[in-house]
Amino acid sequence: MGLKAYLDDIVEAVVTTAKGMRITARYGVDPKEETTMQYPEERWEIPEGYRGFLHNDVKKCTACTMCVKVCPIDCISLESVRGADKRMVLASYDINIGRCMYCGLCVEVCPPKSLKHTSGYEMASVARGELILHFIAEDAEEIKARVARQVAEATAKAAEAAKVEAQAAAKAAEVPSSGTKPAEEKKPE
Amino acid sequence: MEALAQSLVNAVPLLGGVPLWAVTLLLIVAAAVIILVFALTFEGVGSYVLRKVAGDIQARIGPNRVGPNGILQFLADGVKLVLKEDIIPANADRLLFKLAPYFAFVGSFAAFVVVPFGVGLIAADLNIGIYYVMAVTSLVVIGVLLAGWASNNKWALLGGMRAAAQIVSYEIPVGMALIPAVLIAGSLSLQDIVRSQGGLFGIFGWNLFHNPFTFFSFFLYFTAAQAETNQTPFDLPEAESELVSGYNVEYSGIRFGLFFLSEFGDMFIVAALSTACFLGGWNVPFFNAGTLPWIWGNLLSLGVFLAKAFTMVLIMMWVRWTLPRLRVDQLMRMAWKYLVPLTFVNLLGVSLWLLVFKGKGIPGMIASLFG
Repeated sequence: MGLKAYLDDIVEAVVTTAKGMRITARYGVDPKEETTMQYPEERWEIPEGYRGFLHNDVKKCTACTMCVKVCPIDCISLESVRGADKRMVLASYDINIGRCMYCGLCVEVCPPKSLKHTSGYEMASVARGELILHFIAEDAEEIKARVARQVAEATAKAAEAAKVEAQAAAKAAEVPSSGTKPAEEKKPE
Repeated sequence: MEALAQSLVNAVPLLGGVPLWAVTLLLIVAAAVIILVFALTFEGVGSYVLRKVAGDIQARIGPNRVGPNGILQFLADGVKLVLKEDIIPANADRLLFKLAPYFAFVGSFAAFVVVPFGVGLIAADLNIGIYYVMAVTSLVVIGVLLAGWASNNKWALLGGMRAAAQIVSYEIPVGMALIPAVLIAGSLSLQDIVRSQGGLFGIFGWNLFHNPFTFFSFFLYFTAAQAETNQTPFDLPEAESELVSGYNVEYSGIRFGLFFLSEFGDMFIVAALSTACFLGGWNVPFFNAGTLPWIWGNLLSLGVFLAKAFTMVLIMMWVRWTLPRLRVDQLMRMAWKYLVPLTFVNLLGVSLWLLVFKGKGIPGMIASLFG
């Protein structure tokens, strides 16, 4: 190594050090360079269409099971029974958000638009079971029993009505000469 | 100290019955406690500032949870270090393992004794001040080497070996870079060196501007001293990416705390020494602090000294968060092929300058031109 190379080395060391120090000084002095966000106190604004935790508005839900069928990883499960008014009644509606991959297919497919993504993204639990969101607080068996009771009551009432009707029809049959039309009797209900 | 004790006994007649040695001992202990409190406070606050500076430079925020703006972080850290379990590895050399942190801490703390904080604020104005600092800070390497050896851990051993090689190598440029200040003052005492930079030139009385060679010698000293105290561009003994954390990897609790404190103590010693030898020490620009009333002169000079020293500490932190770590061979090459020859040439230059110009610096010559 010649003397020139030796001196060049020294100059290079000084120049590059000075260059680096100037950069760090700029960062050190300029407060705008701080990009850290103090998370629990400050947050990002949630963008539009953000896919957070799923939420199902059970009042609007028709228990059509479209979401269950479309879910690629089967994290939605629901149970339903047919109610007295022929509509489906939800007995349970669970989403395992530990499994959910937030693809949004269920939200897109939902006919009554009851299933929605919320903006929530924070959750902590000590057991995996706690990651399953239950949207119906009441016990599924109780609901089923109640609905079954209602259905039974309704059928009983219908049977009663049918019996009354049959009796009325029988009475009408006893006096065929009275001239009443049997088709008219059935209409009012 | 004994003279001070004598004057104290003369001033306060109540102490007449107490033997002189007892008063002297009491004064020594008092001085040690004051310096210890200063050193520990500096080390605590220094660690907070270090982390804040790191945050600023790396576009982060740094500690901000404990107390307003995180200012009490160092207290929390200290309490944590004291309360943590002090673990000694099963196969460690127990005696040496326990001893090592004390060597490291005493090595850095003992150097505070000759730091000239002000006109009269110096624990002991030794006539071999600089020599004493150089000698006693080398005790740190014994502590580091002992820690590395006694831990019975390969990382620790490698770190200790590196520290020994590094500190022995850089001792030479550090000493050679300080000698110009000694030559100009004609004394090894730090107070004499500081006084030699006084006068009415203001900042041009500083050794930094005495002549071109002393100007370079300041930067040479600063670079070599960073390496000698294992500051970051040269922190090979504790290189965390290679050696986990080097010689102190097996230490925990208060023993680790002592290593930590000694590191910050060394930082202040380097800053204080460069201030005293090149940046005019406690000299207040444009008037003589020694002629003021005792208390005001001391307070003013203490303020000036601490302002300069803390600025140097900040610059060291700035360097620390800027430069990447050197490789071992680069470190050795820098010491033996660059710093050692340069400091020798520099020393020769200063000696010739002083010989040719009869000890006058450039500002002095300019001043004599204008009468």
